[in-house]
Amino acid sequence: MEQDDASLDLYALREVFDRERIMLCFNGPITATLIEEIGKALRRHMEALEESPGSVADVFSVYIEMTQNIRRYAQSRSSLDLESASIIVSRDDAGRHVVVAGNVVYEGDGDALAARITALAGLSKEELKAAFKTQLRQPRTELSGSAGLGLIDMARKASQPLRCKIQSLDDDRSFFSLRVVL
Amino acid sequence: MTDLNIPQSNSSPAIRASWADGVVTMKGDSYPENSFELFQPLIDWVDSYLKTAGRALHSELELLYLNTSSIRALMDVLDMLEGAHVGGGRVSARWSYDSANERVGDLAEEFKEDCTFPFEIVATGDRR
Repeated sequence: MEQDDASLDLYALREVFDRERIMLCFNGPITATLIEEIGKALRRHMEALEESPGSVADVFSVYIEMTQNIRRYAQSRSSLDLESASIIVSRDDAGRHVVVAGNVVYEGDGDALAARITALAGLSKEELKAAFKTQLRQPRTELSGSAGLGLIDMARKASQPLRCKIQSLDDDRSFFSLRVVL
Repeated sequence: MTDLNIPQSNSSPAIRASWADGVVTMKGDSYPENSFELFQPLIDWVDSYLKTAGRALHSELELLYLNTSSIRALMDVLDMLEGAHVGGGRVSARWSYDSANERVGDLAEEFKEDCTFPFEIVATGDRR
């Protein structure tokens, strides 16, 4: 058979998936329906592995918050012309579930988000709960269609501080990714 | 005021409100993209009931997973019940959940922390 050196080696990609214990990976344009369908598949897959109901609920919850945040951001920045997301759900060496999601953002937006994540990383579980309750009572008029609770909620569920990474793409756009270890 | 009967979907709960019975029920998962839109008819209904019905209002909840914007919307509903209770109205809530799903129980407890009206949390079903 003809071998094209430039073509993607699917087997090598599969090896990466196995090595990194990736349960779910998505890359591309994301719609509300896709979020639901992938979420259902993720739940069913974890239930089939007999994961505890708490683990299934936590992974599902972080997956939903992340993907809905990305959708909301893309809709608020229509000039980006991108409703694409990259999502990975895997396990680390210690068997903890890891959810990583990323998308293209304007540099200033990425920096602002990173600053919020850094601020949350310094808070204890009790302080995160207090921050959640404070944000829960923000007047609707102060909210722009989002409850502003997603990041705090993920930080509360996580076993480690949230971590993000910003990779510059061009003059004003970056790839922003957030890693949540449960 | 007409009754509410919003059918359940993959990502949104069944929401019913009966003016004659004074009962609001919510059942299922709630993680729509626009929770504020979904819950607005209920918020309007509860507001109108509390202001004009002059009778007790009970909430029967069997909610499962809630995304954070649904948590916010539900908090707004419970805050209205709390306001009515503080003002002398008769309001109550009961949240039933499967005891295997402890995260739902934790969530219900956290809502209850901010409510002084009768709020019962009932663990049911097949214990694993």
